[in-house]
Amino acid sequence: MLKSVVFKEWLKVRWFLVILTLIGVIAAGNIFLKVQHYITFQEANKYWYRILFENVQYFRYLKLVPLLIGLTIAVAQYIPEITSRRIKLTFHLPINENKILLLMLGFGVVILLISYAIIFSIFFGLSNHYFAKEMVQAAIISVTPWFLAGFAAYFMATLIIMEAIWKYRMVYFITACAFISLYFEYSIAGGYGPVNLKLSLLTLLVSVSLLFSAYRFRKGEI
Amino acid sequence: MNNVIECNNLTHYYGKKLVYENLNFQVKEGSILGLLGKNGAGKTTTINILHGFLQPRSGECLIFGENTQHLTPDTKSRIGFLIEGHVQYAFMDIHQIEKFYSGFYPKWNNKPYWELMSKLKVTPKQKISTMSCGQKSQVALGLILAQDPDLLILDDFSMGLDPGYRRLFIDYLREYAKAGNKTIFTTSHIIQDMERLIDDVLIMDYNRVLAQSPVNEFMTNFKQFNFETDKTDVNLFKEDFIVNIDIIKNKVELYTYKSESFIKDFLNKKNISYNNFIETKMGLEDAFIGLTGKY
Repeated sequence: MLKSVVFKEWLKVRWFLVILTLIGVIAAGNIFLKVQHYITFQEANKYWYRILFENVQYFRYLKLVPLLIGLTIAVAQYIPEITSRRIKLTFHLPINENKILLLMLGFGVVILLISYAIIFSIFFGLSNHYFAKEMVQAAIISVTPWFLAGFAAYFMATLIIMEAIWKYRMVYFITACAFISLYFEYSIAGGYGPVNLKLSLLTLLVSVSLLFSAYRFRKGEI
Repeated sequence: MNNVIECNNLTHYYGKKLVYENLNFQVKEGSILGLLGKNGAGKTTTINILHGFLQPRSGECLIFGENTQHLTPDTKSRIGFLIEGHVQYAFMDIHQIEKFYSGFYPKWNNKPYWELMSKLKVTPKQKISTMSCGQKSQVALGLILAQDPDLLILDDFSMGLDPGYRRLFIDYLREYAKAGNKTIFTTSHIIQDMERLIDDVLIMDYNRVLAQSPVNEFMTNFKQFNFETDKTDVNLFKEDFIVNIDIIKNKVELYTYKSESFIKDFLNKKNISYNNFIETKMGLEDAFIGLTGKY
């Protein structure tokens, strides 16, 4: 049963996953092409100075990449389910409705984790190559909310997509925009340190919001 | 014989609009019941309640004794479900979809599926989304047959199908159901198709059930009489025994459960002259229109 669910979800997202992860890898690679460029043409000490004292964020090109991946995976996974109300087929499978939704959600999370892990590893590895440990630490603290935003966007997009009434969709969309913007507040490198744990908990909190839309669907409220 | 489906005192509204009130019906094990009704009479509402996709305002439906709002996975595995328009996972090809479903059903038997697929002129890697309506219907039917369910719920199976595919669908289905003592609950907007398929009929109109009986019994008891009369000013609409009546100029088309002699006695008693009185043989579609009216 689990194999079948994974198989179906994989068929839906595979190309999106490959292409988006590739984009993420290119974005991460591009960051360090620029870093190399600055180091070559501005001297390393000057570039380090700008990062340390002028809040130049060499990793800023990564900002929207996890968000884009999270949103696209949600669209790829759930739009086929609501097209022609195909979700009825999923609910009719001999498995508890919430369980199959959580399996689909779990699959999405694992896929995102894999994609993010690849991008993050490249970013982390190359950061370590070019910068001091403290600078890398600050960068990781700064990019963590962006990756969390990718998960939050995925979860909230599932809620919006599965909702069939446009009026409610708009309400969820506005709420989601306000919520996601919390992950993108401007800050100095490492400035998000004190709130990353709270953001992680918030992300966990919205992780099962999909079940709400699904419940409304099953009770015929939509 | 056990009831596979039992709906008791079903009442549902959309907002303030009543769909039906205190609807009761049963489907016996091994029978094929066709739910007929005009658009908006509540057919899809009933199907949605049966699937647990809609909570009725009051009343309940039981399938294999379980409330349809809380069907267990075991019971769901005994129900084959065809969505209106033969909707399936269109991003899969015929091999992928068979592999997907086979993981869910313990009694999965892919023989009838591949037998049907061999009749389709599709390439092995062709996505279901690129298939014709007829081909999609065969994929959906093949999957249900492979699942080997005890109950099949089919929502408007004839939608979008040309006559050949409709016939193929019905013949396969009936043969399968009768051979395995399967129960079928179906709707279709093409009533001639139902005539070949169903044993029992449930005809719904807005807010009420007009008829529920074995098809043969219904077709024997429900009659159409045609005659001509000069007395066109008599109001026959209020007579209880007249289910429906159409009067065009001096030609009368009368639908009733009463016998020819009863109608003639009535006309004589009321001094309504008539000639060319005949009982017209009806098909199920004629009877449906006779019962529900043309409008």
